[in-house]
Parts: sequence; C-alpha cells; structure tokens
Amino acid sequence: MSEKTNMPEISIKNVSMVYTDSHGNPVQALKDVSIDIQKGEFISLLGPSGCGKSTLLRIVSDLLTPTSGEVKVCGKTPKETRLEQKYGIVFQNPVLLDWRTVRKNIRLPLEMMKVPKEEQASRIEQVLELVGLTNFGNSYPGQLSGGMQQRVGIARALAIQPDILLMDEPFSALDEFTREKLNDDVLSIWRKTNKTVLFVTHNISESVYMSDRICVLSPHPGRLSAVVEVDLPRPRTPEMRATPEFAALVAKVRNSFEGI
Amino acid sequence: MILKKSKSLLNILSTVGLPVLFGALIYILWQTKVLHALFGTDEIILPLPDRIGSIISDNFTNMLPQIASTLIVALGGLVLGSLLGYFIGVAGAVFKKWGMGGLTIVSAFNAIPLVALAPVINNWTRDLSNQVDIRSTVAKIITVTIFCTASMSVNAYRGLTEVKPFSEDLFASYGSGKLKMFLKLRLPNSLPYVFTALRVSVPACVIGAVVSEYFAEQVVGVGRQIRENIVKGQFPTAWAYIAIACAMGILMYVILLIVESIVLKNRRAR
Repeated sequence: MSEKTNMPEISIKNVSMVYTDSHGNPVQALKDVSIDIQKGEFISLLGPSGCGKSTLLRIVSDLLTPTSGEVKVCGKTPKETRLEQKYGIVFQNPVLLDWRTVRKNIRLPLEMMKVPKEEQASRIEQVLELVGLTNFGNSYPGQLSGGMQQRVGIARALAIQPDILLMDEPFSALDEFTREKLNDDVLSIWRKTNKTVLFVTHNISESVYMSDRICVLSPHPGRLSAVVEVDLPRPRTPEMRATPEFAALVAKVRNSFEGI
Repeated sequence: MILKKSKSLLNILSTVGLPVLFGALIYILWQTKVLHALFGTDEIILPLPDRIGSIISDNFTNMLPQIASTLIVALGGLVLGSLLGYFIGVAGAVFKKWGMGGLTIVSAFNAIPLVALAPVINNWTRDLSNQVDIRSTVAKIITVTIFCTASMSVNAYRGLTEVKPFSEDLFASYGSGKLKMFLKLRLPNSLPYVFTALRVSVPACVIGAVVSEYFAEQVVGVGRQIRENIVKGQFPTAWAYIAIACAMGILMYVILLIVESIVLKNRRAR
C-alpha cells in the first residue's frame, strides 16, 4: 500500500522496441529502458539521433506500441491516458493548419474533444496569454516567425489542460537565440502550471538548463546509459549558463554517453 | 509596409503587364504584316487582326449560340471531370495500397488522344435520345470530362495525402477517427492542389470542347465553326472563331486566378 502513495506518475518498465528496416532486418531501437517520473518533474530524454529518444516519447504517448515491457501512467495504460486527454504533445514542427488562424488552431483539439463553446474561448485566451501571443490570435501561421509558430504549438498543447506535457525536440528547428528565449518561456509556463514535462532533445546545454533529471540515452541499441540529477537552483536564469556549476554538469552529461 | 505594397504592385505589373505587352507586340507585328513575312504566309490564310475584329463585332449576336453551346460543353465537362477526378483521388487516398497504381491507370487513360476517344463516345450515346442535340451534347461533355479527370485525380490524391509531417500524429493524439482527420486535415489540405489541377484543366476544357465538336454529330459550337469555315475557305470567319475560343480560355483562366487568390489568400507565407 505504501508503494501506491509513492507511485510515480509515469512508470517505464523494461521497454524494448524492435523495428524492421526496409531490408527486412530487425533494428533494436530501444533495449530494456526503465525510468520512473514523479508528478511535476521536468525530465529530459537526451541523446544523439538513433538513440531511440523520440521512439520512447512516442511509446509513452501511445503513438507506438513497444515490442516488450510496459508503460503505466498513474497506473493506467498510455492508451487510456491518451483517451482521457491527459497528454499535450509538442512536435518537432509546430504542425499548424495553414488555413486556420492562431485562435482556430488552438481551438482544434478543443473541437475534437467537444469542449463547450464558452469554455473553448476562455481557454484559448488563457493559453494565448501564457505564451505571449494575445495580439496574434487572428493571424495566420504563414504570417508568424518560426519561434512564434512553435509558441502556438505549445499553446495548443496546453489548451487541453493536460497533466503531462510531452515535447519532442520542440526547438530543434529554431535558431540559438529563439531557442534560449523559448527555454525560459517553457520553464516559466512549467512553474505556473506545474505539469509533468517529458522533454526530448539532442542539445546538452538545453537539457541541463531545463531539467530536474536528464536521462542520457546511447545509440545502437538505444539504451539508458545514465541518469544525471541537475541540482541547479530554481528558477533558472540565463546567467546560470555561464557558471562553472553549469559547465561541470554539461561535462558530466557529455561523459556519460557510451559508444558514439 | 510601403515596401511591401510597392513590391506587390511590381508583382502585378510583371504578372499582368508582361503578357499584355507581349500580346500588344504580336498584334503590332501581325497588323503590320511582319508576321506574314516571318511565316511566309498571306492575308487570305492569316487575315489581319482588324478584319477578324470587325467580323466578330458585326456577327456577335449570330455567334452567341455557338459560344453558349461550347461553354456548356466545356463547363459541364470541367465540373463533372473535376468531381470525378476528386472522387478518384479520395478513393486512392482511402485505399492507399491501390492508390498509386490506380492513379497511374487513370493518367494512362488520359493519354489516349481525344481524336480516338470522340468517335467511341459517339457510339455510346447513339441510343441515348432521339434528339440529336441532346445525345451530341452528352457525348461532347463525356469527352471533356475524361479530358479533365486525370489532372484532378492526381492532384487531389497528393493534396489528401501530402500533409505536414506529424499532423497525422497530432490528430491521432486527440483520439481522432479517420473521418474527422479527413474532414479537418486532408480535405482543407487538398484545396491548393485542387487549384493546381484547375490551372491545367480550365484551359484544357475549352480545347477539349472545341476538339470534341469536330467529331460531334451535331454541327454546332465554336470549334465546329472553325472547321466548317476552313472547309468553305472562309478564313477570316474561321479566325474569328479561333479568336473567340482563345478569349474564352483566357477569360476562364483569369476568373480562376481571381477566385484562387481570394480562396487561398491566407495560405501563403508573407
């Protein structure tokens, strides 16, 4: 019973994933990965391409089914959790519908989930303010910069009021300046909303700056090679990026990769 | 803002101005008979533009029924062919395994020359009605329909399947069914592709209508008048109908471009 009160929000247990490539050969994308994530934690999945980090995120979000092992979210399967609309997902690209304004893009999941009309409107305004795009609600995606488009993507994920925010390399397509600005924005949103965040990235300093814990994944086969605790104080500030403690953590993370 | 405005003005000037300038140049070369010298022809085979123009203005009321007949065939075939093409595209997108193969067959079908198709279709419609104008019009519309189907089916298929990366995952993460994904993602995504298809099939439907009239049972339409007048050696009148056929195609294309610019106004990145 005491185990249940300490139950992690997301429990990933011995998850393995084997693909068949185009030549029919089996490829081990993930091997025996186990991670427990507590409620409200900010966790990064960090690794080079081919380490299976996106695959793991897709397994948690029920877009993929693992070959073996299991994922539980508050004791439920990923599918049940997805159908309860507890996931907000932010993809590598903003994936906005060009023919809808910013407001209507954010409305999309609310329409699909049949949220009442009045509540849709209030939620949209709320998340627009959270990402600082109140004045751009009636713009079309084509009129926005890449960074602003990804903010809309984040706002859309937040609009369904998910318990868990899954972010799959959300800033990999952005320039360094925009990326660092959005890092701070996501941290401030995380502080205000207190969601559990699973953040996939291949950027070491980004993962150090953002996370409570970094799960370092190494490729061929994709496996968990280290878990690094980030003990930098919160809230994180841009000045921290220049401190020796930050540099030491970056070095520690870099040294924990295997076989690259 | 000012820079943007002057840029778009420059754009309009180049898209509208250049073709108009080119047209004016041809007109001058034609009227001054430089064109005749270049092509080694005379004014009987290639009448001067002012002569063609005066024939059109003198006989326009007589020409109207011919124009109407061609317009019905062209537009009827365009609408039916586009709808049929879109449905084929939808079928291809739904049954993905067969989609590409099926579309290749449709495209191959499109490669059959109209000249070969028209008599076959005339045979099909022979018993349709005892009124020649009805069965002939139907035959011509079918010809144009086939002419317009392929480009729409290929483009519709692309528009329905080539969605942005991850957008299918996005919809799946909302627990969306296939129908909802079709209505909210695939259908609107295909709209620009529909216009791409129409840019091909709008001019093609006029050409298709004109050619189908050549082989039609009933002697009517702009295309048929071109043929009849050439046979009779009345080249200025034949050229008047050629000019009208061109004008119909250009006018429909311009209308299409205007509609497209309104419908797709917000899609383009600015």
